[in-house]
Amino acid sequence: MSEKRIGMIEKSNNKRQRVTQDRPEFSINDHHDVLVEILRRLDGPSLCSAACVCRLWSAVARNDSIWEELCFQQVSPRPSLSLRSVVSALGGYRCLYFLCIRPVLARLPKLLWTRDQLQLSLSLYCVHYYERLYVGAWIGDAPPSSLMFLRKPVNVV
Amino acid sequence: MKRSHQETYLEQQEAPSMAEYGKKLQSSSVGGGDDNIDELLAALGYKVRSSDMADVANKLEQLEMVLSNDVVGSSNSFLNDTVHYNPSDLSGWAQTMLSGLSYYPDLDPTRVCDLRPITDDDECCCSSNSSNNKRIRLGPWYDSVSSESTRSVVLVEETGIRLVQALVACAEAVQQENLSLADALVKHVGSLAASQAGAMGKVATYFAEALARRIYRIHPSSAAVDPSFEELLQMNFYDSSPYLKFAHFTANQAILEAVTMARSVHVIDLGLNQGMQWPALMQALALRPGGPPSFRLTGVGAPSNREGIQELGWKLAQLAQAVGVEFEFNALTTERLSDLEPDMFETRPESETLVVNSVFELHPVLAQPGSIEELLATVKAVKPSIVTVVEQEANHNGVVFLDRFNEALHYYSSLFDSLEDSVVIPGQDRVMSEVYLGRQILNVVAAEGTERVERHETLDQWRRRMRSAGFDPVNLGYDAFKQASLLLALFGGGDGYRVEENDGSLMLA
Repeated sequence: MSEKRIGMIEKSNNKRQRVTQDRPEFSINDHHDVLVEILRRLDGPSLCSAACVCRLWSAVARNDSIWEELCFQQVSPRPSLSLRSVVSALGGYRCLYFLCIRPVLARLPKLLWTRDQLQLSLSLYCVHYYERLYVGAWIGDAPPSSLMFLRKPVNVV
Repeated sequence: MKRSHQETYLEQQEAPSMAEYGKKLQSSSVGGGDDNIDELLAALGYKVRSSDMADVANKLEQLEMVLSNDVVGSSNSFLNDTVHYNPSDLSGWAQTMLSGLSYYPDLDPTRVCDLRPITDDDECCCSSNSSNNKRIRLGPWYDSVSSESTRSVVLVEETGIRLVQALVACAEAVQQENLSLADALVKHVGSLAASQAGAMGKVATYFAEALARRIYRIHPSSAAVDPSFEELLQMNFYDSSPYLKFAHFTANQAILEAVTMARSVHVIDLGLNQGMQWPALMQALALRPGGPPSFRLTGVGAPSNREGIQELGWKLAQLAQAVGVEFEFNALTTERLSDLEPDMFETRPESETLVVNSVFELHPVLAQPGSIEELLATVKAVKPSIVTVVEQEANHNGVVFLDRFNEALHYYSSLFDSLEDSVVIPGQDRVMSEVYLGRQILNVVAAEGTERVERHETLDQWRRRMRSAGFDPVNLGYDAFKQASLLLALFGGGDGYRVEENDGSLMLA
């Protein structure tokens, strides 16, 4: 668990104890909105580990706004709100992250994450959605493979 | 003497030949200890029993003879392909090498370029071969083998060249109507190609088959092909290589730049196929600052596929609804593109911006004389704001068969090479992509007249055609270039794939 999180929990713990001595101990698990706020500020790997902590955290981590924050961490002009509706329709930010953004980041670590990469990831994501729609009905149970090139390991010079 | 021999062996780049070393082993072992394992070799890291020394030395001599005498120069691919799990077992290694070399006469000229003269220790060996999936775990022996392998490199290149020469000779014979000679040559090519592993062998096999069909006048009739199989092949090609994706994304970028201010967009796609180009465009339109325009798509396809096109329209409509773009779909079926008339498209020029898109659809029209001018005239009459054309950059429509053949050989060799080198595709998908390209090869070489539809032309030729039809060229912007470079970087071809800018058009090299 990242130290930031522990620090925040401790801080909120201490605050509570100072204010009201007879209240029961603070448990983050009782306050899902606070948990969401904390998880929002994590980076990819930490967030994935957090989602493995327990069933509750895993369920909370499915909140798409957390993943939205992660996808746009480094994009400086925030994209418009209409993006949210489009992405949710295509399957949500969490899938977008796992299918497109994470492989792209892994494959091009030296590149700055700008709108262009985001746009490309979105296009690929859209193609994937369409492939599920169209091809899935036609070929049967073959999984859509337009993003296969992202999943397979490759030698990147 | 023994010690100095060891040192010289490790330091020298031009290692003594294996036979010499084997003999020295023999002589040194006679004076060696009674232990099972020879001390000298143990110091180098090899476990060879003193009792086996003579046997090992013999095997090494044989190995040297095989490597230097083997005309086909088979050592390279075998060395590249084998993993020796216990290289310290010298006797076992020599045995596997010998048995392997007699059973693997294969050759891989594409890996020739990966072999550099190995001069350093094995770290360097392993790293230089790491681009191949299979690694050699030979130890310091590689030093001595390298002298053999540099000799074999020359032999390898010769065999690849021989294959090409045989193919060209066969094509020449066909050109001169010398069918008996051509027949004999085709069989020769076939056997050469079968023994050649890698991209070169596959290309040669397809070309040999195409030449054979041409000689025996068995024209592959396009009606015999199952259209759903065609679709499957094309889908597979889309997924496994960047060519189609690059084409679609770049064309979409051009369209986006042309319709930035439009409230209503109408796209006419001259070859709908599976409609893989349009989801990305719809998504980009949906996120346009200022809101999405209404999007109307007219897809053109073959009459046999009418239901398929309608189905496709439904799916696209679903996608459009998901992303929030107003969508209208129209299907047009026609046997030949030149039969299209401007009023078939039902354009609304006062309210919409018209775009005409063609991905690999224009070159088949060249098969019928006069058709391309008709088609371009129709397109001009519809008054589009922009026409996007994607075609192969190759000269496969020359009048002389031999020129066409040579051009096609070069072009498809590089395509097959690119499929081979990219580690991304699993084996079965690669085979399907090769079949897809193989059918094109068949058509370019074996068919004639109206049957030959793969009439690729170069960029300049297309430019001239479009200009004479009344279209002005528009340069693709920097955004398109950036996006294309990014996409290709994702495909991880390293320095294999490149985007080139040619006077306003983008090419994938």
